[in-house]
Amino acid sequence: MTIQTVASTASGWVECRVGGFQLETAWEVKPGQVLVLFGPSGAGKSTTLRAIAGLLRPARGHIEVGGQVVYDGKAGTWVPTHGRRLGYLTQQYHLFPHLKVEANIAFGLPDGRSAAGRDRVLELISLFQLEGLTDRYPWELSGGQQQRVALARALASEPAMLLLDEPFASLDAELRRTLRRELRAMLAQSPVPVMLVTHDREEALALGDSVQVINEGRTLVTGEPLDVLGQPGQGRVARLVGVENLFDLTVQERNPRDGTMTCVGPGLRLEVPLDSQISDSGTPDGGQDRVTVGIRASDIILAKEDLPGSSARNRLPGQVVSVESRPPGYAVTLDCGQPMRCHITGAALEEMGIQPGQRLWAVFKASSCFLVDQNRV
Amino acid sequence: MATLSPVSRITNQPAGIFGGGGAVLYVLFIGLPVLALLVRAAQQSDFLDAVTSDAALSALRLSLMTSIVSMAVVVLLGTPFAYLLARSDRLWARLVGSLVELPLVLPPVVAGVAMLMAFGRNGLVGSELESIGLKIPFTTTAVVFAQIFVASPFFIRSAKLGFQSVAKDYEDIAQTLGVSPWRTFFRITLPLAAPAMFTGLGLAWARALSEFGATMMFAGNLTGETQTMPLAIMSAMETSLDGALALSVMLLAGSILGLVLLGLLTRRRWQGRS
Repeated sequence: MTIQTVASTASGWVECRVGGFQLETAWEVKPGQVLVLFGPSGAGKSTTLRAIAGLLRPARGHIEVGGQVVYDGKAGTWVPTHGRRLGYLTQQYHLFPHLKVEANIAFGLPDGRSAAGRDRVLELISLFQLEGLTDRYPWELSGGQQQRVALARALASEPAMLLLDEPFASLDAELRRTLRRELRAMLAQSPVPVMLVTHDREEALALGDSVQVINEGRTLVTGEPLDVLGQPGQGRVARLVGVENLFDLTVQERNPRDGTMTCVGPGLRLEVPLDSQISDSGTPDGGQDRVTVGIRASDIILAKEDLPGSSARNRLPGQVVSVESRPPGYAVTLDCGQPMRCHITGAALEEMGIQPGQRLWAVFKASSCFLVDQNRV
Repeated sequence: MATLSPVSRITNQPAGIFGGGGAVLYVLFIGLPVLALLVRAAQQSDFLDAVTSDAALSALRLSLMTSIVSMAVVVLLGTPFAYLLARSDRLWARLVGSLVELPLVLPPVVAGVAMLMAFGRNGLVGSELESIGLKIPFTTTAVVFAQIFVASPFFIRSAKLGFQSVAKDYEDIAQTLGVSPWRTFFRITLPLAAPAMFTGLGLAWARALSEFGATMMFAGNLTGETQTMPLAIMSAMETSLDGALALSVMLLAGSILGLVLLGLLTRRRWQGRS
């Protein structure tokens, strides 16, 4: 496979104003790395990509692509979009409707009709398994095929950076996974920096080398995908990435021997991992440590009886409040002093015969709990 | 592809009764006069002579020539103008955009008088034009002026809609692929807007060919110089019905040919798929 590019780190920062919306963000992506911009719609993710692409002009900032400064507010540097050597992929692909597959791929090649240009197109056609489709118009292709053509077109002119704006959003889950694997494999071969916009957690985990969470035009956190999205460390981030259970509690007791601490709140008592910062400041000075503890719904086990012999540090009795369908499984809400959401499979629901009003136990390990936020009061 | 079930065809009664009735009446209303024209022309013994007469041929030549020139002007100047109107949402662009509609509602005779007031010998700029050797009224140029005045809105409106239908994203994507804005316009925007532009051109051309009122007022009715087909038909009516019939059939044939050409030019395999 031969997608050759002289790769260099893409980096920059911008401040943009679009109407009343203000965006302030900075990024750095190494060659071959994927930086995921994660956040709700309207957060400023696409705006960031459009600023890098030169499709909107930032108020201030500095942008480098392929080792070249393409924008600098202070120096007045401005390279127009067509001079920035980018591959930009949108959710709707925007394949040119009046051109066939081959002409779409060759569109950005300055020498599209020369022998070298044709070789390049043929190479991409075989790389993306588009043989036999070259003579079709875009609407004669399936969604997945359109996606491949769009990616081939974006890569044809050997971009110095790839900008992917929710490239899988309009595909079904199955196809999304396949294409995600393909994209991952292809990126491993072509060391260009990639920025990927998504609000799909699974996609961010599957493709990201690092994740940057953006909300309301601000970067909340940047880090490893599992750190940020698995057990996120900031309250706002946790809510954005959909941690189902968040409890505001007070630290009651520290057990350095076990590496845990006991936290209590209205009707609730949890064993959670000891946090180093809290243990350091653990001397009794009259203040109280308040923490927000998160537990993912899928980390909770439901049991009909107490499991006294188990290793799980948290075993809470509760009453089933509601059972909702949440494909592929079910979400059960248990009142354990505070409502607690648990995700279970349909088979488990049937086997246990779970119904509202039933008394169940919620069981989970201390290490399934994570600190989202903390402050001294 | 799903086909309509017979049930849904029967239940759509308004379309069947109202629509069917309307269609029959409309076909009769349009078809009968056209048929009558053809029948009467066919009954004529010297039809070919009338068609090939000097007066008819010179009117035909003048109509073709002037309309080609006016369409060239309309397309060359109207295309960038329509593109601007489609892409700009500024107030002045909207105001200018509504000015384009004016000739559509203005009676052509009034347009002719207005142009006389502007370019005529005693018009606003007429004497200035004459002092640099430009005389417009009652010349072939005036015929072209009149045609542009009344026909250009058809093209500009249609081209503007065509450009608006081309999503800005296509242009953005093309530029991220390293293609300059100018090349993007010619390789993406123009081809995608072309069907709408051809539709507009067809309508404008038909309007230019049939132009009568403004031409009459501003250009007069001089054989070989300003007497286009419609004016020639009117003049012929005063002397012989046969001549008028022959010219009318020629224009009718031209219109049908134009419709066919229009259909061919505006058909695209990819249409409606963007």
